[in-house]
Amino acid sequence: MLSDTVRAQLEDLIKKNKVLLFMKGNKHFPQCGFSAQVIGILKETGAKFETVNVLQDPAIRDGIKEYSSWPTIPQLYVDGEFVGGCDIVKEMYASGDLQKTLGIEAKPVAAPKVTLDEGAVKAFKDADEGNGDVLRLEVSPQFQYDLYFGPKKAGDIEVKVSGLTICFDRDSASRADGIVVGWVETPDGGAFRIENPNEPARVKSLTAPELKQWMDAGKKFELFDVRTDEERRTASVATAKPLDDASSLAGIDKATPIVLMCHHGMRSRNAAEKILRDGFTQVYNLEGGIDAWSLKVDTTVPRY
Amino acid sequence: MGDTLSDLRTSILAQIPDAQVVVAPGSGGGHFTISVVSPVFEGKNMVQSQRLVYGAIAHLMKGDGAPVHAVDKLTTKVP
Repeated sequence: MLSDTVRAQLEDLIKKNKVLLFMKGNKHFPQCGFSAQVIGILKETGAKFETVNVLQDPAIRDGIKEYSSWPTIPQLYVDGEFVGGCDIVKEMYASGDLQKTLGIEAKPVAAPKVTLDEGAVKAFKDADEGNGDVLRLEVSPQFQYDLYFGPKKAGDIEVKVSGLTICFDRDSASRADGIVVGWVETPDGGAFRIENPNEPARVKSLTAPELKQWMDAGKKFELFDVRTDEERRTASVATAKPLDDASSLAGIDKATPIVLMCHHGMRSRNAAEKILRDGFTQVYNLEGGIDAWSLKVDTTVPRY
Repeated sequence: MGDTLSDLRTSILAQIPDAQVVVAPGSGGGHFTISVVSPVFEGKNMVQSQRLVYGAIAHLMKGDGAPVHAVDKLTTKVP
């Protein structure tokens, strides 16, 4: 049962703070994924908000659930009114209603420019079941993509391209301008390949067979081996150069694909992250290193 | 797990007898996704609709050892 003291405490908190989130953890260290998502959204809106960490007080934790008739945390209050939990806040943010509730002008988002290749257009047309669902493309803040048929939502931004309509929520639209969706055939079947110029540069993965394909195709790239001389003498890829210090990269155009390799792919990943910070934009890590090369490409290279 | 699934279903149906209820395991132990379709949601907003469902299953979510730790996704629809 909700005691009078706790009720009064909650009412006071809700009255005193225009935007108040009851959550697990605090805004710097959310301790639950749902709370973290709502924090992320509130920060995006630019609204000022306060938080109450329910983990610090079991009476508040149980009390707010009863007070709101809502069994989960987080819970958002604006102007003394219960707005909702994580799902509702997400949906309201996507439609622009949250910004209205918070009294913040939703920034206008221009329709992003989208390009589809022929394969992608065909794949989408084949996948459309004609049940009224629309093609949706979501781009998360971490630039992970979700491409699916689903219901149209309020506040959607529609883009017409190649006879298809693609719907974006506002947030995804702001991260999608100039996006290219292609279709690639792989040994495991077809797959979409998304290229997004808004995506921050990051280390990409390259498999040993892919590296072999690059070599066979005469693709222009630089291959560096970050291992010690002794390891390189034991086993190596003939065309790989040692990466001894920064001078190894001097004079290479920053847009040149750089592939890094080591024994199993860990040291080279660290080196790749560093090279990315130096401004190279096409940095690849050979996953599995020389060991994967021995196993999958050139069995004459000894394993160690 | 199986028991919790049917407990959720039964509890929701006890509150909203005409509902079509689908309960599925969610992203981990104690996590679930729930979809409820019923005319009772007509004219209600999301908070009001979800409160009806949460109200029905609150007893399964109470306390630290509750069988239902989180509802990953709750959808409510009017048929």
